[in-house]
Amino acid sequence: MSEAALKHLSETQTKDIDENIAWAKINQDVLRSMENPRRGYWIAMAISVALFSVMIYAEVYQYMYGMGAALLNTSHMWDLYISTFVFWIGMSHSGTLLSAILHLVHADWRKPIYRFAEAMTTFSLMTAGIFPVIHLGRVWNFYWVMPYMTDRGIWPNFRSPLIWDAFAITTYLTSSVLFLYIGMIPDLAICRDNTKGWRKKLYTWLSLGWHGDDRQWRNFRITYLMIACFLIPLAVSVHSIVSMDFAMAIMPGWHVTTFPPYFVAGALYSGCAAIITLFILLRYFFKFEEYMTFPILDKVCKLTFVIAMVWTYLNLVEFASVWYGHDIPSKEVLLAKAFGPYAPFFWGMIAFGMFLPFTLLSKWARRNMKFLFVVSVLLNVGMWLERWMIVTPTLSLGYHPWGWNIMWPGWVEWAMVGGSFGWFGMLFLIFVKVFPCVSMYEVKEMVFHRKRTIYEDVDEMMVLHKGAPTAAEAGSTNNGGS
Amino acid sequence: MANHRKQNHRIFGLFADFEQAFEVIAGIRRYEVPGITVDDVRIKSPIEHPEIEDILGERPTNIPKFAFVGGLFGLVFGFFFLAGAQANFTVQPQGGKPVITIPSNLVLAYEMLILFGVLATLAGFIIGARLMRKRGPFYNHAVSLDQIGIVVERIDDTQRQQVRDLFARHRVIDVFEETV
Amino acid sequence: MSSLFGNILKGWTDYTKGIEEGGHHKYEHMWGMVIDLDKCTGCNACSVACYAENNIATVGEEKYKARQSMQWLRVERYFDEPDIDPGAIDDENAMQERGASFLPMMCQQCNAATCEPVCPVAATYHTPDGLNAQIYNRCIGSRYCANNCPYRLRVFNFYSYTDEDGAWPEPMKQQLNPDITVREKGVMEKCTFCIQRIRAAKDKAKMENRKVKDDEVKTACQQTCPTQAIMFGDLLNSESKVTQAWERQQVKLGKYKQDRENPKLRGYRVFEELNTDPSVLYLERVREE
Repeated sequence: MSEAALKHLSETQTKDIDENIAWAKINQDVLRSMENPRRGYWIAMAISVALFSVMIYAEVYQYMYGMGAALLNTSHMWDLYISTFVFWIGMSHSGTLLSAILHLVHADWRKPIYRFAEAMTTFSLMTAGIFPVIHLGRVWNFYWVMPYMTDRGIWPNFRSPLIWDAFAITTYLTSSVLFLYIGMIPDLAICRDNTKGWRKKLYTWLSLGWHGDDRQWRNFRITYLMIACFLIPLAVSVHSIVSMDFAMAIMPGWHVTTFPPYFVAGALYSGCAAIITLFILLRYFFKFEEYMTFPILDKVCKLTFVIAMVWTYLNLVEFASVWYGHDIPSKEVLLAKAFGPYAPFFWGMIAFGMFLPFTLLSKWARRNMKFLFVVSVLLNVGMWLERWMIVTPTLSLGYHPWGWNIMWPGWVEWAMVGGSFGWFGMLFLIFVKVFPCVSMYEVKEMVFHRKRTIYEDVDEMMVLHKGAPTAAEAGSTNNGGS
Repeated sequence: MANHRKQNHRIFGLFADFEQAFEVIAGIRRYEVPGITVDDVRIKSPIEHPEIEDILGERPTNIPKFAFVGGLFGLVFGFFFLAGAQANFTVQPQGGKPVITIPSNLVLAYEMLILFGVLATLAGFIIGARLMRKRGPFYNHAVSLDQIGIVVERIDDTQRQQVRDLFARHRVIDVFEETV
Repeated sequence: MSSLFGNILKGWTDYTKGIEEGGHHKYEHMWGMVIDLDKCTGCNACSVACYAENNIATVGEEKYKARQSMQWLRVERYFDEPDIDPGAIDDENAMQERGASFLPMMCQQCNAATCEPVCPVAATYHTPDGLNAQIYNRCIGSRYCANNCPYRLRVFNFYSYTDEDGAWPEPMKQQLNPDITVREKGVMEKCTFCIQRIRAAKDKAKMENRKVKDDEVKTACQQTCPTQAIMFGDLLNSESKVTQAWERQQVKLGKYKQDRENPKLRGYRVFEELNTDPSVLYLERVREE
């Protein structure tokens, strides 16, 4: 689409979706996105694979030489691995927010965009799951955290928040994958009907014989609702449990009771920003202008702003409670964050996390794709910095003066952090080419219901005014013919 | 004339206009074709239709029961499994903490509740929706596109034409028949 | 499998009994220490003895500066006078007359240890001797225990030191203590109150059918200290020297704030207000008034 056309579209698109869209066109547009990829896709894939290879190289190096390769020391026993782990778990909450929470409140503008958000959740969790394994000193024994019967009667320590992490993330990953898959079954049936070769075999197998029967739709609707109802408290509990890795420790700056809601708010924030980023990318590369419309982007930006304000409030609450309290070590940690050697990153977090979302209030910003892309990436940078600023300053200034120490991450840690983005990119790129990243049947439902509502409104108006025959009786079809 | 008329026909009608299709079902409910009730009707559609649930009649699903049983099992099994493991691992007492720690066990039992609830819901879905079986009769690609299909089952010879007429009155696009 | 659920009630009653009877009723011994900071000269002999006794690797200057040392017992220097120019500190004026205090810190064997509940694989626990034990074979190196130790006394094997260019090139391997393992990379370690010596004394006492005598167990640091600043013994033995020292200082286990009649008593425990309940009592240096 040309610049002028895009500008025109941004000014005239007022509805979340055009009700007169032909359903065949919906099928066609989405199926076209899964065709054989062109050059841009392969470039993106190459970059992702390159980043991931760097990560593998760094991990092999660390495996051979020991954790000292990551420049950790007696004071800083955790560093970027744990903060990036929390970052990825946080990013995963957006899919649940969009799919499950907005489903329960019947916000149907989520329908064109929740599929890739849900995929982002699943892949974020798969990326996050790498870090608790690679940060271990003896990686090859990582399976000891699983509760299985041994003949020596040894169990993992269920009191430890790291075990809670293991349980929670396993549950969340399983539930998210199942939620994504179940929600995709009717779409996989459409793909099955319209493809050939290995794809047809794959979709036939995956769609489990779906044929759109009313019995199947009824069970489907209730299943989706039930899993959404399970998933919402799960999402809240998962990031609360991750926050308890810190909140259950006694270190100053970590032992804070607001950490569970603070982390959950940060997670939703981070996820919404990532949704904006992926929205813009997918809309541009797959030409989804009619489905991922400006009004929907508008709503996502407003949602991001609201969550940003919640996060800002909880952040200020944490600062205030430390400032007014009597816990001297915690106050020192806060001052060190603001004025010590980590200060640039702390203020970067404040700038990107607290002040940048105010740009989302301007209508111009919400309609400008390039600006929004940059803003959403910076918001996520701010949230990553937040996680780093939670982990490292506390460890640099603990209770015992002998342990006070400044530490900067080395190439191994940065390679792992960058490589995790490569891994996520790989998974997501494979997803968009194998599975439909816009939910076809849900967009059809959205079109169907909006058209119906218009006709009902028109009916009411006409009956009120003149007692004229209704639009339905007047004989127009209410869905596009082929 | 035998009282047992062979009710062995199935008719499938494809409609482009969803409202007309719903009118057909409302018509069957009003017994416009004698001998056919709304229980003999099935709908095949590209989208879900909660709005015609009352017209279609009482068709209960078991999935909430699956979800409840799964969740309850997860909660109880989770808590007692953990408590049992902790109680038997007595070489591992920790200073200042009890052997069976209620707060951690509750957190983990909560996660188990959700995990088993979701798995049970999935099982209920596959069983209740009768997935993973051979595809039902009259599968038509148009249903995955934008048309709605109505299947009327258990029809005998005399009712066939009446059903066809009912369909024709509401602008059916295509009609298929099958004898079981 | 049936015993999986059978012991639940038993475990619960064990806990409640423990709370009622002060939490220590099941312990056979309760190893504690008293360190007199007035006698400590900061010579670091205790630290070196610990290295020798426990197969601790020397990491070299580079890694020591990067704080990746393996020291279990470190002697910390603190200066009372805040206006000393850091550049002016050298061997001559880093002495007690100028206000330097020396604090030998080792694992405090806390009775309500903050490191124990957070290990994901239960590699650290509380023994019936009142010690906080680290199981090297079980440790997977998640390092949560080190983050949760307020004293920062847990050390991690960041590298493997057993190669030829490691800490003990041949023939230095002959110097290793056979009573204790050499740890591989990726596991946590810390002071154990020389548990190998405690175990040897207990075995000897058991063979001779008697209780462990008061001075029978000497930790390596206690044995080496030239001024006998370190005292070690069994706090459950009412005749041992450490018990008498704790009683003289009116410090009790199980409390995070001691109420003492005489506020001028020298005894204190580090960070006891964090409710870690440490087993090491420090006697403050006598200061000139």
